[in-house]
Amino acid sequence: MEALEKALRWADENLKADYIELRYEDLKKTTLGLKDGVFTSFTGKLHRGVAIRVLADGAWGFASTSDLSNLEEKIEEAYKLARAAAETKKEKIELAEIKPVEDFVKSKMRVKPGEVDIEEKVDHLRELENLLKEDKAVKSVQIRYEDGGGRKLLLTNEGTRIEWDYNYLYQGAYVTGKADGKLAMARDSIGSVDYGWELMMEREPNEKVKERLLRKMQGQLKGVAPKRGEFPIVAGPIVVGIIAHEALGHLAEADLTINSPFKDLIGKQIAPEYVTMSERYVDGGFGNDRYDDEGVPVRDIHIIENGTLKRIMLNREYAAKWGMEPNGHARAESYRYPPIIRMRNTVFEPGDHSFEELIEDIKFGYYVVDFRGGQAQLNSAFQVGVQEGYVIRNGEIAEPIRDTSITGVAIEALKKISGVGKDFGIEVGFCGKGQTAFVSSGGPHMKFDGGILIG
Amino acid sequence: MENLIRFGEKFFDELEIAVYRSRDVSASVELNEISMASTRGGAVTVIRGINEGRLGLAIIDSDDPERIKEAIEQAAKMAKLNGRDEKWVSLPEPGAYKEAPKPNYGLKEASPDILVEKLVRGIKLAREKDPNAVVAGGEGGVSWEKRHVVNSHGVDVFQEGGAAFFFLELVGRKGDVVTPGIFDFDARRDLNLDVDGVVDRAVQRVRWAYNVEKSRNEEVPIILGPWAIAGLLSYTLLPAFSGERLVKETTPLAGKVGEKIASEVLTIYDDPFHPLSLEPTVADGEGVPTRKNVLIENGTFRGFVWDNYWAKVNGTESTGNGKRDLKSGGIGIDFHNVVIENGKRSLEDLIAEIDRGYFVDGFQGAHSSNPDNGNFAVTANPAFLIEDGEVKGASVFLVAGNVYELLNRASEITREQTVMPFMTTMTTPFIKFENVKIAGK
Repeated sequence: MEALEKALRWADENLKADYIELRYEDLKKTTLGLKDGVFTSFTGKLHRGVAIRVLADGAWGFASTSDLSNLEEKIEEAYKLARAAAETKKEKIELAEIKPVEDFVKSKMRVKPGEVDIEEKVDHLRELENLLKEDKAVKSVQIRYEDGGGRKLLLTNEGTRIEWDYNYLYQGAYVTGKADGKLAMARDSIGSVDYGWELMMEREPNEKVKERLLRKMQGQLKGVAPKRGEFPIVAGPIVVGIIAHEALGHLAEADLTINSPFKDLIGKQIAPEYVTMSERYVDGGFGNDRYDDEGVPVRDIHIIENGTLKRIMLNREYAAKWGMEPNGHARAESYRYPPIIRMRNTVFEPGDHSFEELIEDIKFGYYVVDFRGGQAQLNSAFQVGVQEGYVIRNGEIAEPIRDTSITGVAIEALKKISGVGKDFGIEVGFCGKGQTAFVSSGGPHMKFDGGILIG
Repeated sequence: MENLIRFGEKFFDELEIAVYRSRDVSASVELNEISMASTRGGAVTVIRGINEGRLGLAIIDSDDPERIKEAIEQAAKMAKLNGRDEKWVSLPEPGAYKEAPKPNYGLKEASPDILVEKLVRGIKLAREKDPNAVVAGGEGGVSWEKRHVVNSHGVDVFQEGGAAFFFLELVGRKGDVVTPGIFDFDARRDLNLDVDGVVDRAVQRVRWAYNVEKSRNEEVPIILGPWAIAGLLSYTLLPAFSGERLVKETTPLAGKVGEKIASEVLTIYDDPFHPLSLEPTVADGEGVPTRKNVLIENGTFRGFVWDNYWAKVNGTESTGNGKRDLKSGGIGIDFHNVVIENGKRSLEDLIAEIDRGYFVDGFQGAHSSNPDNGNFAVTANPAFLIEDGEVKGASVFLVAGNVYELLNRASEITREQTVMPFMTTMTTPFIKFENVKIAGK
């Protein structure tokens, strides 16, 4: 875009900045919120603006604006902010070198959501609601659908010029059920940046979503409270994924690693040798991309490789700090935010056990399938609410459990992994770290001989 | 705006235009140093139009009249495609508004330099007080927003105002112990942010956390701090006050107005005009006058809160609790400033009387709670063991239960009150609860 080029040229010639980055977005979004038969949001959104990031004298200045008329002034403002911040800094920020890239990132979607009539989207959501309400226990259904598409541009004074044909879609569905005076809630989410409307039609049709939601809700309604304590636990891909993301992944984000126990564990054995955890491209992964928001190509990494803590997620600043190669984890929610280090798809890699092998030796334990909210601390202490779980009794899956959560310290729990399944699954979702990012997490079924407390 | 309403009336029976213009400045900290100074500005306009009971919404990142017209046409297109909402009654009429408190114009053009200066001072103080502590993160910010809501029934409310906030996150390392991240902060309607207080409180808790104490399964008194209370109640209790949930039968408080649902020491209300409120707003997101709404008075449940839509569905009046979600443009029931009334004695006095118990600074996992019945299962972390009236060290444990049972165990409330400007803004003291069952680790 000529206005951006012109402003960048002006800034490069007139300001003494080490680095200047302009990130432009022009996106059309649709949000549909269906709440018990009524669309409470039925919204078309037009988002257009520029994020300006300037590194000067070893400090960052950032400005974001939806007013595109005076970009030079805005770049200068960011420059001045950087200079003001720089005055206080002892350690100057440097960026790891990268090769500037010129590229156009095409969408992989077969049917972009923007090409689908809104009537079809409305019908699809209504159909899901009707399917869910066929179950008489369902009291309330809420479905939130959002899609977006358009152009993203990244220009830097180092010569990077990347344009994305950027598209995504997401659906979150929530049901509340009531039976015998008990209320229960279940949630489900699907979304993609690579699959378009075909995600809703073929990969995750309404029948499939319905079945998952009702199973979770019914399990909660019929469930018994679990015993409180430490028992053998088999965790399904979604729960394994949330542990990978919340309790371990965040520790491997370089800006957080420095204050976490991971800092002193890089290169050390922290799990059995059959445990590998990656940040990588996954088919259907919500965090997939070719470049990050600094124009660095996204690379697959093993955070834990055969039990050893190997790599962490980096942006250019932290790559320079750690003397490592940047690997494409700088991400920004929108033009209103600067990029920060984020996960993409965080997964445990499959092993060689069948599900039956994982549960067969358990006399009494729990099988936790899906979660509702998870959180962790920098010491890897985690807490995950369970929305679908079962008792394991004498090597078999027994009655469901309700309203419970699992907690533990992931670094301790890793050592207690005694079996890794050969299957694999992921779930898509959002990660909040001051900004929202699309992420996936997952893995195979895994068995923990302790290390996780339930109740 | 008048012209835009007239323009919109060509497409809609009823129409609302809300313009939000904001300016935020902030500075952030990473690892004992300022990492970035930022400014963010712009306008967002939301159109909500209804034609023959069909709702259409549009959001645009602009306040330019031509682009607002574009958004009105977009909203009209959406409405045409939407189904008819049989329950729709109408947008609100103008009401009698209170006089808005005078905004602090000193915040309007606040410079990030002031924030940088405060953060640098905070870092220095923290490092002096505890050389083993790292200021892992932090931020200081000032936001200013102008909101203008007009609708085709004559609602026309303009409000502006701002607030400032400051927080630090400290992590202590001593020997093998890495403390959890300890946060403390201040938020207010002027720039007199309490840097010293933030540092003192955070450093004290880091110091406590260097000693790690095992917790065990027991029934003990616990004191919940403002962060823990705001986290837990936002997910377990506050949704239950929603009128929408009453209509949909998904609140456990249905039919309980006038009944005792909590200990008598608890009085909770939503009050945008409370002295500590960060946003003393006179009208809600759809232009309905706001007011103080009592939720729980001395343990007795007093009533639900409503927005315009659900109030009309239920045949009652809006309590001024319609809040706009700027992501979807829609209005939902929410709070302005939930206040838990404070007590007489200090936190120190309460701790001094405990033979064995815990002080909980934060809960993990509150968002996995079940608002439909108030059940929760959370991890207390950071939390601290109290023995013989003194804090002995950091502990981690699990609390699983029901929020209404917990509220009945409240025995005393502190004099200190803190504003927690997160999800739902809450102004809350520390609360002591008796005989709480915990699962140790």
